[in-house]
Amino acid sequence: MGFGGLALADMLGRSAAAEQGGADGVLGGFHHPPKAKRVIYLFQSGGPSQLDLYDHKPLLKQRDGEQLPDSVRGGQRLTGMSGNQSSIPLAASPYAFSQYGDSGAWLSELLPHTAKVADRLCFIRTMYTESINHGPGVTFMQSGSQIPGRPSIGAWLDYGLGNEHDDLPSFVVLITKNKGGQPLMSHLWGAGFLPTKHQAVRFRSGSDPVLYVNNPPGVSAANRRQLLDGLRELHEHQFAGTPDAEITARIANYEMAFRMQASVPEVTDFSNEPQSVLDMYGPNAKDPGTFAANCLLARRLAERGVRFIQLYHQDWDHHGGLKGGITREAKETDQPAAALVQDLAQRGMLDDTLVVWGGEFGRTNYCQGLYKPGQDFGRDHHPRCFTIWMAGGGIKPGTTYGETCEYGYNIVKDGVHVHDFHATMLHLLGIDHERLTYKFQGRRYRLTDVHGKIVKGILA
Amino acid sequence: MGCSKRIESVSLVAAWLLLAWPAAVAYGADASPARLSFNRDIRPILSDNCFACHGPDNANRQAGLRLDTFDLATAELDSGTRAIVPEKIDESELVARIISDDPDAVMPPPHAKIGRLSAEQVETLKRWITEGAKYEPHWAFVVPVKPETAGGIDAIVSEKLAKRGLKLQPEADRRTLIRRASFDITGLPPTPAEVEAFVADTSADAYDRLLDRLLASPRYGERMAADWMDLARYSDSYGFQVDRPRPDMWPWRDWVIKAFNTNLPWDQFTLWQIAGDLLPNASDEQVLATAFNRLHQQESEGGSVEEEYRVNYVNDRVTTFGTAFLGLTFECCRCHDHKFDPLAQKDFYSLFAFFDDIDEAGLYSHFTQSVPTPKLRMLDQTTAAALAKVDEAAGEAAAEYEREESVARGTVAYWIAGKLPMPVALEAAGGTIPGELVRYSFDGRGADGTFANELGSKEPATSPGDTMVVDDSRGGRPCQAIKLTGDHPVKTPVGNFRRSQPFTVSAWIKPAAQYDRAVVFHRSGAWTDAGSRGYELLVDGGHLRWSLVHFWPGDAVSVRCTEPVPVGEWTHVAVASDGSGKAAGLTIFVNGHPAATTIVRDSLTREITGGGGDTITIGERTRDHGFKNGLVDDFRVFARALSPLEVRDLAAPGAIAAALAEKRDAEAIGDYFAAAFADEPAAKRAALEAARRSRDDLAERPPEIMVMRDLPQPKMAYILERGEYDKRGAPVEPDTPAALPPFPADQPKNRLGLARWLIDPEHPLLARVTVNRLWQSLFGLGLVQSPEDLGSQSTRPEYPEILDLLAWQFSHSPADGGIGWDMKRLIKTIMLSDTYRQRSIADAKTMADDPLNVWLARGPRHRLPAEMIRDGALAACGLLVEKMGGPPVKTYDMPDSFKPEKADTGEGLYRRSLYTFWRRTGPAPVLESFDMPKRVVCVARRDTTNTPLHAFVLMNGPQFVEAARVLAERLLVEHDGQAELALDRAFELLTNRQPDDEEQQILRRMHTAQLDWYRSRPDDAAKLVAIGDKKATAALPAPDLAATASVVNALMNYDGSVVKR
Repeated sequence: MGFGGLALADMLGRSAAAEQGGADGVLGGFHHPPKAKRVIYLFQSGGPSQLDLYDHKPLLKQRDGEQLPDSVRGGQRLTGMSGNQSSIPLAASPYAFSQYGDSGAWLSELLPHTAKVADRLCFIRTMYTESINHGPGVTFMQSGSQIPGRPSIGAWLDYGLGNEHDDLPSFVVLITKNKGGQPLMSHLWGAGFLPTKHQAVRFRSGSDPVLYVNNPPGVSAANRRQLLDGLRELHEHQFAGTPDAEITARIANYEMAFRMQASVPEVTDFSNEPQSVLDMYGPNAKDPGTFAANCLLARRLAERGVRFIQLYHQDWDHHGGLKGGITREAKETDQPAAALVQDLAQRGMLDDTLVVWGGEFGRTNYCQGLYKPGQDFGRDHHPRCFTIWMAGGGIKPGTTYGETCEYGYNIVKDGVHVHDFHATMLHLLGIDHERLTYKFQGRRYRLTDVHGKIVKGILA
Repeated sequence: MGCSKRIESVSLVAAWLLLAWPAAVAYGADASPARLSFNRDIRPILSDNCFACHGPDNANRQAGLRLDTFDLATAELDSGTRAIVPEKIDESELVARIISDDPDAVMPPPHAKIGRLSAEQVETLKRWITEGAKYEPHWAFVVPVKPETAGGIDAIVSEKLAKRGLKLQPEADRRTLIRRASFDITGLPPTPAEVEAFVADTSADAYDRLLDRLLASPRYGERMAADWMDLARYSDSYGFQVDRPRPDMWPWRDWVIKAFNTNLPWDQFTLWQIAGDLLPNASDEQVLATAFNRLHQQESEGGSVEEEYRVNYVNDRVTTFGTAFLGLTFECCRCHDHKFDPLAQKDFYSLFAFFDDIDEAGLYSHFTQSVPTPKLRMLDQTTAAALAKVDEAAGEAAAEYEREESVARGTVAYWIAGKLPMPVALEAAGGTIPGELVRYSFDGRGADGTFANELGSKEPATSPGDTMVVDDSRGGRPCQAIKLTGDHPVKTPVGNFRRSQPFTVSAWIKPAAQYDRAVVFHRSGAWTDAGSRGYELLVDGGHLRWSLVHFWPGDAVSVRCTEPVPVGEWTHVAVASDGSGKAAGLTIFVNGHPAATTIVRDSLTREITGGGGDTITIGERTRDHGFKNGLVDDFRVFARALSPLEVRDLAAPGAIAAALAEKRDAEAIGDYFAAAFADEPAAKRAALEAARRSRDDLAERPPEIMVMRDLPQPKMAYILERGEYDKRGAPVEPDTPAALPPFPADQPKNRLGLARWLIDPEHPLLARVTVNRLWQSLFGLGLVQSPEDLGSQSTRPEYPEILDLLAWQFSHSPADGGIGWDMKRLIKTIMLSDTYRQRSIADAKTMADDPLNVWLARGPRHRLPAEMIRDGALAACGLLVEKMGGPPVKTYDMPDSFKPEKADTGEGLYRRSLYTFWRRTGPAPVLESFDMPKRVVCVARRDTTNTPLHAFVLMNGPQFVEAARVLAERLLVEHDGQAELALDRAFELLTNRQPDDEEQQILRRMHTAQLDWYRSRPDDAAKLVAIGDKKATAALPAPDLAATASVVNALMNYDGSVVKR
């Protein structure tokens, strides 16, 4: 959970270690100087349609309703959703695309706020994955394996680099509240076979951001302090007769818990945020648990030294009714995500904060189910190419990387596999992905399995 | 598919004999202290640094060099050099490479990024080569031999400690000892009375009797089951993404508890779970045990590929088998030969072949609650008797019907023979076919786009405009028919038949291709998403297949034509079900005549209605393959099983009239009369249907549980290239890995044979793996630190002699001097040792030198597992409900789970933790925070973390706040409101010892401060004491109760409460 192992280190005066950065993780430091000190990953669960947001394909307009040529499909494995469909008609995006910023990035009309920060972003149009379904797909993006049971990215970082913060975890998960769509699973931010302390702490949107962090009704911080002092005396007395480091670790943990009871409410309290900042994130910024509030909370956590902040926003799985669905999700996420980039830049934090926006796969250029051009429609899962964007922390701003075919179905140039994405992220964080390993069941495991190439073309 | 799975494995015997070296050299330990041992000193270096490229993996071996066997390591290489030349380090290329400064030559190579060998490792390898480079087989693959020493565990430990200048610690004090033993055996603390009795009992066998008492407690089975549930990946939900609750697997958990409590011998415990279903005359209990193999995750996410997940499930069975029973990791060789252990990819799929022979689906049903097959019906005696009764009644009704039918046929025979006049009803019928529900000729569409029902103005069929009416010709005459797109359904408004209802569907069809799979028509909610529940006519590999389904494939009846259906031609097809729910009751008529069929499935046990899609749909089904470009015409549905003559008439109108006029084919006319018009058979037919309906209603009730049952014909298994489900390579037969003992020649090549192979006392792994895990459970650390992996990458045990001593005893019968797989005796053997009984603190240097307590220079000490922390607190506070077994319960924290669930009220809040509803994607957060695994996969070892989050749970969580208040209330009442005495007693209940003077002073100071606090804030006090489902009842002032409760709660966080010492 991100900081349990610190208890003893804390007692031994670990503030010096914290200054060196990453010194209390298993790596004992960085492999090379990091460009990014922290990551905010805005995960868009369900598979947002790249063809309606980022990847402009005029040809689909011309061929709207025609069958996807076999030569383009090339025997690609389809999901059980549309795999047995007798016809697979191409579907043009109903949204207008334009170029934005000095970099001339193509974006659809669904993303007016993202358009304003386009020059700060790097769009990767050629992400690809191996999964055709959500469960394995999200698991792959988050842990480098389609089957649950491997550590998530944040857990690897906590294991490798430790925690720089005394009273907040290094790995925090925030989930947009009240969303439908494909379910999330707690193993996505789990520690897999690493010790469980490396798993994320999920901050909830309710009154208890961390499980039972608040004192129960009728208990205040002051009388809790009295009890903890008594407990400490009991432990010190016991330690005198039983000199066991487990006891000192326990004392330290209870002190840290007490500090967390102050620090967690502090970080989740937006009352000192100026109105201008709240306005930037949009009308939902003060409604805890919305994507907007989570983006702002992510910035506050980042400011306080949390290394990996994982957001999830669900409901991008538009097999049907795409128009209504994608409009709604874009509206909920466009402004806050753009504001986060802008806000970090204003504070000088974007230089060493890596921001990522993306889902587990893309969507097909053809319609799932029955299609009538002009009417609402749906797109199936598409693992062969999809778009994500990255910004800040060592990423080349104002770039579009990779090229897909004119049908938007296949990669033509510069494909980025999930393992490459992970390798690059670790590289930016000062880690050689081949050297962050954990021996389990007799084998050295790593986030990138036995694969992964750093995507040099997106590095600043 | 071939059934040549059963072959001999003679070559394996030879391979095994090569490995069966004398065990004395196996560990290589201490024969001559000066001499290096391969297993102790060399294998770890080679395995960790070299085997990845120069080990057992055939596909990725570099330079043709293999260092894991003597012969190959000393063989001449292509380069003309030899990696190892015994006794000659100067000629050994290995030495030159590990000391080289040339980045192109040095080993391990820089690109491997595992660093250089240390100077010490280099010297060790050089010395070993100088000494002759002797190899030994990996210790865990060598059968333990009968121990020669009589001294047991303590002698072995003492001898080794003496070499370090250490000795065993004195025995822990009595209170510590009974606390340790009680938690270890029952998972619960002792009561104060039990503690006092044990302290007072100075007889020599007091401790021995204590262990017997604890082992006889029913709480023992619950405590042991909790560990086994981690290995079995037990969960009350299916797992993966959808993770639907599956609240029907708990009977297996209760069986495990019972098996431990009745001390079922471990070999039987093992065998039943692997293969209880295959035992001769297997009891329900033995079949139930095999649910172990079905506890893996299952998926139902829409659009998932079924075969991908089926393979996944079998993989999970194999890896769980490997981890739980062999202590070997098979995950690697799923995709390639193992890099460290002599396990080939073929070995994995040979084991796979044992576990894939069940009639299962790769996806469970989203739209129904059907239990995935194969399954066991859990019958209590009352239901079993009631079922037998209705079965008998249905049988009698069938016999009566047949009698009346035969009388009716006789009437017709007499008429045709001229001995009787034509039966009146037959004459009145005039050659009609009664019971028709709808008829669609698809001759054009109505103004509203629908297809008219020829039998009346109501109940038209509907379809989107894409389904065209086309002109065609049949039998030389023009006709109109619908042309299906495969994606657009034609929906009728009828057809929600139960399995007891006879019915017939008839149509002309013209397939456009030799479909691998195509749905002609069906009544179901969906394909895999509904387990195909309903009925369906498919083209399957070009042949017509007709099925009634509760859950495909294991709970269905299905017949398939032996001849393919013609492509591009019109064929008349009628399919009927007689209401028996048996394959024999299904008929496919082709062009008016019953077609020859083979039985595909004959195992329907439950209803076929439900799951959505209540009426017949033609030509399309969600996510299935439609009847693309096929034509359908004259679609008719009858609420009867038509007689052959009637079907002939549908295919060739006028057939009935002609038969009657010509008075030929008495049998067909007799069937027609009996089936359609005769009064007596009709009454009996109604009675039969009613009897079957009653039987079916009753059959719906008993709960079912997923188990193993092999198909009569085993499935062929294949090596899957790179582990991918759709990359089938060479077929493989079921077999055990070549590096392990050979499969017994006299056993069947199925799971039963596999289980018997495993429980042979001469098997090197099962007993060792079991003993090692038990040791871990008692000491917090296994003798081998990786209980999931005893392979060559595992840490060499400090005390292999103890492992072998106990493993040998455990697996051998009392007649041979062993204990015959007696788990309680094994526990007692370990717990009676001085090694277990010693106190858990040693001198500071020893503690620092051996932080994990590998040397056993002190007794066990570790934080209690999740269940024991919660159960211990509930027990100490008198809240624990000691009810055994039953459906899972939902604790206070379930609303805070990632998948929130409403908490129970009352009893469910206070049951033992192993009964907590366990949902994999959102487990109960309190238990999870104390390191309970999600149980996604088999786990042999839990973490034991110590984090600030524990403080939140224990100080702020309602379970513990309430428990503290309940205890405070009870103790205050017992001690007439004297808080000091109450707190002393609380301390004793939670830690099993009395507080010393200083501790008493600390408790008093804490209490005084709290009392002052709450007396000035009575509202706060009232809020605190109101927490929990159990309300405070005693007439105590809220501040007094709150103050004592607060201190009790703080004590629950004390090391003495949550750590076993």
